[in-house]
Amino acid sequence: MDQSHPGGVSVTAPPSTLEKVVIEADCLSRSFGPTRAAENVSFKVKRGEILGFLGPNGAGKSTTLRMITGLLAPDEGTAKICGIDIASDPIAAKLKFGYLPESVPLYDEMEVIDYLRFVGTARGLVGSDLAKRIERISHRLGLKAMLRRRCGTLSKGFRQRVGLAQALIHDPEVVILDEPTNGLDPRQIIEVRDLIRELAEECAVIFSTHILQEIAAICSRIIVIHSGRLIADGTPEELAGEFREGWQVVVEGSGVDPQRCGELQLAEGIPGSPGETVHHWLGDSIPDLDHLQKMLEQSGSPLIQVGVGRESLEQVYLRLTGGEELQK
Amino acid sequence: MKNILTVARRECGAYFGTPIAWIFIALQIAILSFFFFLYSPFFIIESADMRVWFGLTPFTMMVFAPAVTMRLWSEELRTGSTEVLLSLPLPVKDLVIGKWLASVIVLLASVVCSLGIPATISWMSASPVDWGPIMGGYIGTVLAGMMFLALGCWVSALSQNQVVSLLVGVTAGIVLVLALSPDFAAFLTSTSEPLARTVEALGVQSHFRSIERGVLAISDVVYFLSGSCLFLALTVFQVELKKQ
Repeated sequence: MDQSHPGGVSVTAPPSTLEKVVIEADCLSRSFGPTRAAENVSFKVKRGEILGFLGPNGAGKSTTLRMITGLLAPDEGTAKICGIDIASDPIAAKLKFGYLPESVPLYDEMEVIDYLRFVGTARGLVGSDLAKRIERISHRLGLKAMLRRRCGTLSKGFRQRVGLAQALIHDPEVVILDEPTNGLDPRQIIEVRDLIRELAEECAVIFSTHILQEIAAICSRIIVIHSGRLIADGTPEELAGEFREGWQVVVEGSGVDPQRCGELQLAEGIPGSPGETVHHWLGDSIPDLDHLQKMLEQSGSPLIQVGVGRESLEQVYLRLTGGEELQK
Repeated sequence: MKNILTVARRECGAYFGTPIAWIFIALQIAILSFFFFLYSPFFIIESADMRVWFGLTPFTMMVFAPAVTMRLWSEELRTGSTEVLLSLPLPVKDLVIGKWLASVIVLLASVVCSLGIPATISWMSASPVDWGPIMGGYIGTVLAGMMFLALGCWVSALSQNQVVSLLVGVTAGIVLVLALSPDFAAFLTSTSEPLARTVEALGVQSHFRSIERGVLAISDVVYFLSGSCLFLALTVFQVELKKQ
């Protein structure tokens, strides 16, 4: 796989800004004892892109993001934010991004406004500029009524918003969000997605999730990580196109005579129990559906439905993260 | 310096915005006052000094300093707020010094609140007050406190469990105050004089006692300041180690 291939398509940022690479991860590797949490992970993100970091729990998403943000030193490889190496000049690099960790840790005893003042001041904002930024971000995230509340008394949804506010208060060029919709209700999830779309008009957004629908809903580009390795990189369309295996027959029925399986060449795809739906891969040739249906009916199985279609993005993801090594 | 003050201001808010600092100050003054008025010859001979007060200070400090500092890093590590803190564009040394400075401000508040004691002595005593040893005692309290608090910061960065931080901090304080005491050094003299001298030089009490008497020797000031720097450097090292 050509990992340097950006593959991203922005639909929002002006063309002149698209070429600017704001995140460069080059061969990042990290082990925890005998466990290889990240192995040779390389990718680039351009301004205007929304990069979805997809993978099952424990795949190495957070480890990779923590290496990019300088919270974890890689065993090998480098990470650059806006061209600045996070290891050699961490302070300059950290000015360029905002980061929301997965657990959204806040200081419970602090009022929201004091927390935002602290983070803003630490990020170099002062005086009226800081006050304006707090005003703007609290308005944008619907936090104005919560500014005088202690962080410890906030609901999960508002905690998430405060976490987002601290990550965005300094108008960063890069926003890194680790599972930003984790634990939110559907309405809040939609709000966060809308916010991420808005952010992509001004900066690059990289966020991790293990929820496929999230990625499909908002990402201009997807990276799939599994067992610490980058196994796919491309737009949702590219992934569904490049990585799917071809045509499939979808059979729903109650089983066929096993003796006919060989004749039908569908041994692995024959439904075994009533109502079961199976997907059988047929390769790149489009099957003759009428012929297939006829053969299945002749086998004596009371079929409910037979259909032919392409592999969905969800199926691609499940197959990629199911242990199969992708050799493309 | 701006970064340090930003961090210190936040930590002071956490100390003084919650009961932590006030409980620490009230308890320390209450305990010291209790023993002071119980054991001081003040009411018998109207001795206008605070020797008993300052004599007890290292012992209360070895317990109260880790109690103040135990939350500084342990709580951040437990809640995961270090993730945000360390993603801010602040050098780790500024974070460490800022947090330590906040704990020193709690100590200074405690010292200011205890000034009522020498004022009371001065008012009640028939004999004139010798302010030299009292000033020395307060300077020694601040210097020793800075070192104990730096030690507490380091211990706090070692564990995300505050109780563990407190217990390890108190144990380390006991070593500095009791194990490395002049009495123990005297006991060791018969075995090995160089070892006895080393033990006395490393212990808090020998340095604190001379300051408490009003003698501000450079070596004692250097001892407390270098001890503070050493423990703060260890804290920076420990926090940096979290990235590894």
